[in-house]
Amino acid sequence: MSNNKLVDVKNLSVHFPVHGGVFSKRVATVKAVDGISFSIGKKQIVGMVGESGCGKTTVGRAMINILRHVSPDVEIGGSIEYHFDDEIVDFAKLSSGEMRKYRSRVQMIFQDPYASLNPRMTVAQIISEPLQLHTKMNAQEQRERVGWLLDKVGLQPEQARRFPHEFSGGQRQRIGIARALATNPDLIICDEPVSALDVSIQAQVINLMMDLQEEFNVSYLFIAHDLSVVEHISDKIAVMYLGDMAEFGNAHDVYHHPRHPYSKALLSAVPLPDPSRKNRDRIVLKGDVPTPLNKPSGCAFRTRCPVAEPSCAESKPVFEQQVKDHFVACPIVKGA
Amino acid sequence: MSEQQEISLSILKKRWLKFKTLKRGYYSFIIIISLYVLSWFLPVLINNRALVVSYEGELYFPVFSGYYAGSTFDQDVPGEAVYRQLDAKWEAEDSDNWLLLPPYPYSPYEDITVTGNKMFDAPSRTHWLGTDNTGRDVFARLCYAFNISISFALILSSLNYLIGILIGGSMGYFGGKFDLFFQRVIEIWSSLPMLFVIIIISSIIRPSFFLLIFIYTIVNWIGMTYLMRAEFYREKSKDYVAAALSMGQTNFKVMFKHILPNAMVPIITFFPFAVVGGITALVSLDYLGFGMPPPTPSWGQMLDVGLSNIPKWWMVFAPVSAQFVTLIMVVFIGEAVREAFDPKVYSRLR
Repeated sequence: MSNNKLVDVKNLSVHFPVHGGVFSKRVATVKAVDGISFSIGKKQIVGMVGESGCGKTTVGRAMINILRHVSPDVEIGGSIEYHFDDEIVDFAKLSSGEMRKYRSRVQMIFQDPYASLNPRMTVAQIISEPLQLHTKMNAQEQRERVGWLLDKVGLQPEQARRFPHEFSGGQRQRIGIARALATNPDLIICDEPVSALDVSIQAQVINLMMDLQEEFNVSYLFIAHDLSVVEHISDKIAVMYLGDMAEFGNAHDVYHHPRHPYSKALLSAVPLPDPSRKNRDRIVLKGDVPTPLNKPSGCAFRTRCPVAEPSCAESKPVFEQQVKDHFVACPIVKGA
Repeated sequence: MSEQQEISLSILKKRWLKFKTLKRGYYSFIIIISLYVLSWFLPVLINNRALVVSYEGELYFPVFSGYYAGSTFDQDVPGEAVYRQLDAKWEAEDSDNWLLLPPYPYSPYEDITVTGNKMFDAPSRTHWLGTDNTGRDVFARLCYAFNISISFALILSSLNYLIGILIGGSMGYFGGKFDLFFQRVIEIWSSLPMLFVIIIISSIIRPSFFLLIFIYTIVNWIGMTYLMRAEFYREKSKDYVAAALSMGQTNFKVMFKHILPNAMVPIITFFPFAVVGGITALVSLDYLGFGMPPPTPSWGQMLDVGLSNIPKWWMVFAPVSAQFVTLIMVVFIGEAVREAFDPKVYSRLR
């Protein structure tokens, strides 16, 4: 199992300091990600779910180490160990200069297909940019590769000379996928790749991504908030709540036998296309998600948890393996 | 294939096509550009030196090779040969010597020291816009001043833009302490009374074309930094920048290949107005007497001399109308550019 791992995230934390006052003193910290651990195997799809603002996207961006560009003073702790074929690299410790040669190994597909393609570049320029950076292909080879990639993602190679604004949302997302695949990466981080698309297009894009995953032997970290989508494509599911990992395990186990009370509530909210089951037990959580500026003590979920006990406020629950390959951060449900 | 290219126009091309439909701005653009290009050929169009002189079987090219004393061509004048008189003389004598004068055979520098030139000559067929207080041809000076004004404004605006984009862009892109430091620098810098600074510097050092540009650039680069900082700040958080970074593009490439083309709108729309500002800046400095050293032809200096000799109407009329026409055409261009770049028209692309 361990030699089959591609990424091993251990105790990853991402904190954004908040400055204020006359002397820009540090007044608070946004704990966007607060010590999470999970791993992605080779050729595996890991789905990551959670509410808006729980830190899913931040995890994805931390894993390709581009957080520092937008917020230079971000604090990243823990380790993100990549087990490439030839070497083991910890992305959390690399400077952006050292990162450069590993950039081709991990790519990203973005949520908003309108913002993620530079409107001033043609499709050919967009897709060939990673080729220019990471391969020694000449112009002709690049053109061929771009045409081939466009064909793979279901577009016509002749469309390479068009600009992004001439495409629909689904087509643009296909361009984004082609760009991510251009350098044959080991891992693609898919940051809600279908949430900006129509439902009918969502299915097409997801099926395309699954086909390409097999063809290119690539791993996905599939960030989404649609549980049914994630269950459909993932090998493993990670559930996040307010910067913490609530549950991580095989997709089937997490989806059908959730252990953490938050996962249970989340799964009971999945709409079922079956009217006869409309009276099933829905767990409705009370209240709002607390702010990551001032998280509750102990378990972050205790303020809304249906099974919370006074002891939950004392210490942060240990994220441990409760059943085989099934990690849960809740001592209450242990042994249940 | 051509049909394919027709569909896939870049945004810039679309905007250029839109600009072409705005006739007033487009024709102003054509006129200003052609006049400016033409003004680089002024030495062969408006000059008192002959283009070609054939004297005793030998060819001379005074426009290109410069000074020839009058005695070279057996002319009895002090100093340089007067080619207009030479032409008339050889014509009258029906001699074998001949010369070819430029279409308008007066220079902006020749004054009453040259025989035949008079002060305050009213506009006529020889002097289209008359002569000034030292007998210099007003039309010739006007044309040379046009070239200097536009060159000054173009170089000044480009330099301001270059510095403004580099510093403002880096401020917006890198943010943090770099941004904070330069914000304070700019605040201090912009609180200096700049006209006084320029006047003080010009009264100490004798100004020249490039020194004036240098001084004005030191003062004026600030304006562009605000715009560029805001543009880069907004663009850097977009996903296409994250995509470029995640594939390992360098900061320099991300700034200038990815962000800058998307931050071109304020650059291009403000450029004509920056040029207007540059022209007026030079005129006002010259008018106050702190600009280009005399006898450089300049609209400000002509205006100054004209106002102190106001009954000679042509000396005021000429520089004022030249400025008026030039500035209004540049403003027309600016308006048309602004309309062509109106984001509402291509709102899907923004």
